Amino acid sequence: MHLGATLRLLRVDAGLSLRDLARRIGVSSAYLSRVENGVDAPPTQERLTAIARELDVPPGLLMDVANRVSPYVAGYLEDVPAAGTLMLDIARRKLTGAQLARVRAFLDAEFPLREVRGDEPVPPLAPLLSAERVVVQLSCGDYEDALDVAAGRLASALPGVDAAALAQGLRQREGEAPSQVGNGVSVPYAFVAGAAPVAALVTLARPLKVDAPDGQPLRLVVALVDGHVGRARLMRLAHVARLAGRGLADRLHGAEEPQRVLETLEELEALR
Amino acid sequence: MNPHMLAQLLVQLIVIIGVSRLIGRGARWLGQPLVIAEVVAGIALGPSLLGWLAPDAMRWLFPPESMPFLKMLAEVGLVLFMFLIGLELDPKLLKGRGHASVAISHSSIIVPFGLGAAAGALWLYRTLSSPDVPFSSFVLFMGVSMSITAFPVLARILTERGLMQSKLGAIAIACAAVDDVTAWCILAFVVSLVRASDLAHAGLTTVFALLYIGFMLMLVRPFLARLGARVANREGLTQNVVAITLVLLLASAWTTEYIGIHSLFGAFMFGAVIPKEGGLAAALAEKLEDVAVVLLLPVFFAFSGLRTQLGLLATPEAWLTCGAIILLACLGKFGGSAVAARLTGLRWREAGAIGILMNTRGLMELIVLNLGLDLGVISPTLFTMMVIMALVTTFMTTPFLRLMYSPEEQAREQMVQTPEGPLPPSAYTVLLCVSHGQAGPGMAVLSRALAGERNEANLYALHLLSPDRALKARADGALDPSAASGGALAPLLGRAEKLGLPVRTLSFVSSEPARDICRTAQAKRADLVMLGWHKPLFSQTVLGGTVHEVMQEAGGTVAVLVDRGLSQVRRVLVPFVGSRHDRAALGLARRLVKQAGAEVTVLHVTSPEGAGTGRAQVEELFPADEGAAVKLKVVSHASPEEAALEEAKAGYDLVVVGLGAEWGLEDRLFGVQRERIVRDAPASLLLVRHPEGATVLAQTPEQARAQGTPQDATQPLGARS
Repeated sequence: MHLGATLRLLRVDAGLSLRDLARRIGVSSAYLSRVENGVDAPPTQERLTAIARELDVPPGLLMDVANRVSPYVAGYLEDVPAAGTLMLDIARRKLTGAQLARVRAFLDAEFPLREVRGDEPVPPLAPLLSAERVVVQLSCGDYEDALDVAAGRLASALPGVDAAALAQGLRQREGEAPSQVGNGVSVPYAFVAGAAPVAALVTLARPLKVDAPDGQPLRLVVALVDGHVGRARLMRLAHVARLAGRGLADRLHGAEEPQRVLETLEELEALR
Repeated sequence: MNPHMLAQLLVQLIVIIGVSRLIGRGARWLGQPLVIAEVVAGIALGPSLLGWLAPDAMRWLFPPESMPFLKMLAEVGLVLFMFLIGLELDPKLLKGRGHASVAISHSSIIVPFGLGAAAGALWLYRTLSSPDVPFSSFVLFMGVSMSITAFPVLARILTERGLMQSKLGAIAIACAAVDDVTAWCILAFVVSLVRASDLAHAGLTTVFALLYIGFMLMLVRPFLARLGARVANREGLTQNVVAITLVLLLASAWTTEYIGIHSLFGAFMFGAVIPKEGGLAAALAEKLEDVAVVLLLPVFFAFSGLRTQLGLLATPEAWLTCGAIILLACLGKFGGSAVAARLTGLRWREAGAIGILMNTRGLMELIVLNLGLDLGVISPTLFTMMVIMALVTTFMTTPFLRLMYSPEEQAREQMVQTPEGPLPPSAYTVLLCVSHGQAGPGMAVLSRALAGERNEANLYALHLLSPDRALKARADGALDPSAASGGALAPLLGRAEKLGLPVRTLSFVSSEPARDICRTAQAKRADLVMLGWHKPLFSQTVLGGTVHEVMQEAGGTVAVLVDRGLSQVRRVLVPFVGSRHDRAALGLARRLVKQAGAEVTVLHVTSPEGAGTGRAQVEELFPADEGAAVKLKVVSHASPEEAALEEAKAGYDLVVVGLGAEWGLEDRLFGVQRERIVRDAPASLLLVRHPEGATVLAQTPEQARAQGTPQDATQPLGARS
């Protein structure tokens, strides 16, 4: 179970204490703590929506992280059973992400949405990466080494930023809230004043034993750097956690070339 | 208590909790802390509103004979709550916060205390107190009640605004903690003064109180620390442990009550001495918080609301007095802390924000006031005025803070908090770059000498796989890249293990090895990047290809090891003419002297025409007290390269030489000249390059002595020559 770890990461990044968030969504801090530690079952949709509201991220994003079908979808499928058969058809054809993106483009063209949805689109991860910031098949003995390698790549994309300072920043955040979001993925995060958001991705050849919420060894590190505090970066964090839940680490595990990693990622992200 | 009374109490609880939650909704909508709602709910249920609108309903709901039970419940709730406050008080907040918070917290107590005491002495004692209240108690009490800051409310406001981690929040919370402790100590003294019939008794109470504090600090705290270590996790916190803690808490509260300072002080003190490390404090707080804060604390608020009679402020003068008290309170607290904060160097905006935050009195003030009313120090009229003051000062905090310290301002301050602070110093770090296995053992031997017997160095072995090789390894089947890297790193690791040398390995696929070496070196803040030598593909030189690229890009010292069976580092030769590379080479040799007790010979070559300044330079770099291990040879020779080569044949283990034309060593991508010194010297060689722009090694002897090998490894790549 990895939702709890993601919730904690987002909560700490939003600057809320455990008790504070618990109070705001009207649950006991003991319960929230159990959820964060994965001892308790993941929250209901209503609670998840409340949490998303307090953290100011789209509720759908958290539902995805929790692998819950959004209540919209569930309700719609109940009302219009034909839609369910359409879903089955899609499933039978085993459409890939890229193909689904085409279906979506068709939908957008044919049936444009009348009202603008409150949710602004979640910023995708792929544009923040480049082949230059993808490290494949790292093997190292310590998580910190992986952070250093990521920091090295990130620093080349940020003029005037020192890799050692960046590595220090990543480690410092790590101390505040562990960045392991489960499914073999961690999302270390640093803040650099005024920087445009960039990301570095490191796949590990040898899975690392870390203190992950679901006990899975670490296979993928997605390091993010951002120059602004606020909504967008919380959404980015949650988005990576969602990708992790969709098996990002498994899909990238075999990749030997940065270019291949980027392609896989783009395909995964084609449908946001 | 008869069954009817129990029913009465239950109804009261239902109404109290229900109403305060209801008003709480409204308060949240206004962006106010919940405390405000709870206090207002209490006042609304009391004679001020309910008693005024429907006296019968109030009499039915809160008959006078039920008050003692309500009071007891409120007192128990307060004991638990004060314990929680103490639990939240981390001693780390009190120390190490630097000059600013000490100055601010002192002045934020002294100024309002002085103002309150003065107002009490000169004005309020005459108008609002009865002669049977001792003058000194009244004045002291007024002082204390003005200088309270509500630690819990402040903490809540700070977290809600996301300010807890900011500099401002840290200062404010530290000041509030200091204020709380100080105010409670003064209050304990005042209580003992009032309760004691004469001065002798008061003195006795003080002595007992000090004994009690000593007992808590000397005996109870170590015991709790041990208990805390035992039940470090949540599972360890069994009900037995909770029972022990609660019994101790009650005993502590009883002791202080018996001594004559209030039971609340004991509860607070006990909470404060519980160790905050480990999970004990957090787990206890979690268990008790809901009962104390949701169930019992509203009872206290209702109880104090029942005693607040707005009807007593019937005349305009009374309201004027009330206004004057509010003004004084704000002036003392806000002014005192804001001016002090400004004087410590904060900007006006920040200083103002601190002043506003410190002005929050919230429920702590109510606790103090109820104490005063119980003791008979203040009259119900003054009590009502002060409750209004507490409400107003708490209420104004949030909007004023937003006005003074807007989110934009906050964002600006957070922007400053980038991770680019001064980096903590780290141990001497060497990055060993291994491309082929054969260089490994020599590198391990040299690293051993650089690290010394006590392993005073961080060693990282880096092996970069070229993309096609990684693919091939995979295509070959069984091998995954980690195994392939293990192959190249194995000789190094094998030797390192024999030498008892801890080395951390690192390997990944890289299409630009030189850049990745430099990036990794920078992220690791490596003091030295050591490369293994292998025959380059396109040129004859050692210093071509990747080595050249690394040397061009690196921000720190780069050394290439030409290994001719290096198995020990006893005798070291350093040819020296004084370039920055030579100095870097000398710096490394110096480390070898210090860490491995190597014997270093510095060969200074002067041209036959002019006498060099080499001796002076070398003596400067190797002070006399270390001179024993360093021999200086000065020779005069037309070709420094020849001279160095001749000397190198005299049985050295290692020749450490800086790059430079005089040694026939220049790094370029495709060299055509053959580096004779590399080809012909029988010993192993370490070729050292130090980049321009980085701190020149051993610029001053002091610096050299202080830091060993000073160089700016943290310098950004862009700053290289």
